[in-house]
Amino acid sequence: MRASKIIRRYTNGWLIASLLGAAAILLPILYVMSGLLRPVNENWSAVKAYLLTDYVLGSAKLVLSTGLLATFMGVLLAWLVVGYTFPLRRFYRWALVLPLAVPPYIAAYTYGTMTSYTGIIQSTLRNQFDIRLPHGLIELSSTRGAMFTLSIFLFPYVFLLMRTYLERQSGSYIENGRLLGRSGWSLFTRVVLPISRPAIIAGAMLVTFEVLSDYGVASYFGVQTISTAIFQTWFGMYDIDSAMRLAAWLLVIIVAIFLMERLLRRNRRYGALSSRSKPLQPVRLRGWAAAAATAGCTLVFTIGFALPVAQLILWTGWTYSKVWRADFAHLLVNTLTGAAWATIIVMALAVLSAKAVRMFPLAGAYALSRLMTSGYAIPGAIVAIGILAVFIALDGWLSPLYVWLGRAEGALVLSMSLTMLLAGYVVRFMATGYNAVEAGYDKIPRAYTEAALTLGHRQGGVFWRVELPLLRQAILTGAALTFIEIVKELPLTLLLRPFNFDTLATRAYQYAIDERIYEAALPSLLLVALSLLSVAIVLRLERGRVR
Amino acid sequence: MSELNIQGLSYRYERRQPLILEQVSLTVRTGEIVGILGASGSGKSTLLRLIAGLETPEQGTIRLGARVLSDARVEVPPADRGVGMVFQDYALFPHLCAGDNIAFGLHRMSRKERQLRQSELLELTQMTSYARRYPHELSGGQQQRVALARALAPGPSLLLMDEPFSSLDAELRQSIRTELRAILRRTGTTCLLVSHDREDVEAICDRTLVVADGVWEEGSASTTAADHEDKH
Repeated sequence: MRASKIIRRYTNGWLIASLLGAAAILLPILYVMSGLLRPVNENWSAVKAYLLTDYVLGSAKLVLSTGLLATFMGVLLAWLVVGYTFPLRRFYRWALVLPLAVPPYIAAYTYGTMTSYTGIIQSTLRNQFDIRLPHGLIELSSTRGAMFTLSIFLFPYVFLLMRTYLERQSGSYIENGRLLGRSGWSLFTRVVLPISRPAIIAGAMLVTFEVLSDYGVASYFGVQTISTAIFQTWFGMYDIDSAMRLAAWLLVIIVAIFLMERLLRRNRRYGALSSRSKPLQPVRLRGWAAAAATAGCTLVFTIGFALPVAQLILWTGWTYSKVWRADFAHLLVNTLTGAAWATIIVMALAVLSAKAVRMFPLAGAYALSRLMTSGYAIPGAIVAIGILAVFIALDGWLSPLYVWLGRAEGALVLSMSLTMLLAGYVVRFMATGYNAVEAGYDKIPRAYTEAALTLGHRQGGVFWRVELPLLRQAILTGAALTFIEIVKELPLTLLLRPFNFDTLATRAYQYAIDERIYEAALPSLLLVALSLLSVAIVLRLERGRVR
Repeated sequence: MSELNIQGLSYRYERRQPLILEQVSLTVRTGEIVGILGASGSGKSTLLRLIAGLETPEQGTIRLGARVLSDARVEVPPADRGVGMVFQDYALFPHLCAGDNIAFGLHRMSRKERQLRQSELLELTQMTSYARRYPHELSGGQQQRVALARALAPGPSLLLMDEPFSSLDAELRQSIRTELRAILRRTGTTCLLVSHDREDVEAICDRTLVVADGVWEEGSASTTAADHEDKH
């Protein structure tokens, strides 16, 4: 009786709308999974016999090597800037996050060109100092290039999470370790590493998902991964069934990694016993140790941010007048309007479902929110295939309507339109918007909502008059982050864009693939500038939380 | 104002957990101020939330005057119950000034009626000169008065108060108690107040209910506010 009363009480427009939203988001993902159940075609037998092992090994090699290197760098640098003081430490505390502002596919062709025989490094050494490096010493290509690029530009995920954790919660543990006679390496391995395990795993997972999603870097350096294979089977063999089967297998791998993460974090209850943790007092480094710490941070910052950005600025100077044509304004409009529409839809859905989750006090609501945000871990290529399949099916169902409207039989209307790309963005970036709104809701005490209800307002009134004004900041933050992520997105845009629809990301990538690297600099620089905004927002949010 | 009647009310947070309220029955007569005393976790705040409609009971009936608010079939939503509530930490909306907080529940009135009612309540709680201040610009005592004014503004049939003095220091507590009783008396409000502090209840209420180990009993009436008033 009570259960039915509760269901009646909470079944309202908010819940129904967000359930529909969740279904729309999950549909393409489920469609991809269903690929495993369909009968195989001839192509697939060939892919399986000759290529699949290479793809899987390529992905595994890249994930493992990048994951380890990025985690190693992130952990070490985070401990350095939190545990010690040395010259420029305060600057590097945030500056080491900046490599995140350089999308890895841009870094890939920037470094690929910079380190080549005709690139700035080798030509300067040759022309100014008459130094000739042996062939292959510094050139970035194939797996080595991809590993270097992805590690240098993704390590800040680990750095940021570990640094925040250490700054907020580790003070008393580490000081106790010091009091008990541990210092240096022993303190690091016996106290710092074990207590930071959750943060390290979370950071390493983000890196792993980014590497699995990557298409731009791997394809530029010619590394065979499952993501690049999806593109090849789709556009090379025109075999969408096999592409979907590959996507489904990649999804299986991702779910396995997800479960592994859960397992790794299973018994960790040592996050923080009290919210009033004391901040850690860093130890002052002197002499050689201080110089080495500054030099190490400077090296990483230079390679990860200063050098590629300086190079992009230089190239932009060379090609600015050629690239900045009437067509470029069109490109900007495409990029910004596409991202703006998708952001509006993401935020509307995010607010709707966050409100429904808050109202519905059961575990099912939490599961709903997790499912809706699962897109972040799913590579753009997979989302794209799911969306394409769903849209082609939709066009099939709507065919009689199209005929009635005067179109030819079997016309593809929705799947040739911008709607499909927008749907892809929404599925992929729902998490960015939703997490921001959820964090905003967490800060609003439930008593506000309850007080408004007892004062005669219904859920709609409560939302407009109490919750929305208090959520404004969170919604704006979420919208800014989502917008920038969408502007940067490459594989999804490449796969789902309507004919002749280019964005900054696709144009930069197209130039790079055509070996017109200098022309790629202007759109790339604009993307870096936009991404810097997003990093600034993340840093500001994180600073607020530390305080 | 109406009489509150509760019969056989039971509630538990989750299905496999023990009952936090078991077969509770009580009556609060029209215009009466009743205090509930009990330790934390005894279910006294939960009782207020059930009466306000913020939780759904497992069993039992809640009636306010002639209306059934909750029984096996009916569950009136909080917005339609006509029950006002003062929350433990007041829950004043931080983006609205004191005046707008008080007017928040008056959305069904015309603008003119709303302004009139708002000024009445500001005057009643002596907050007129603070009307344009935001909650964070008010002291604890002032916040409490705004919360009371906001809850009283729509003219509820019943006022519920959940630990209304817990955020105040001892000195302020004393003066606010006297003030609160005076306001409740002046408006003839039927009120159910929850506290873990015997002095709070004795200073304000006409009658006390004591909860201990799940048993709800009428408390000793010797020292309630009504007696004090009678003596005077």
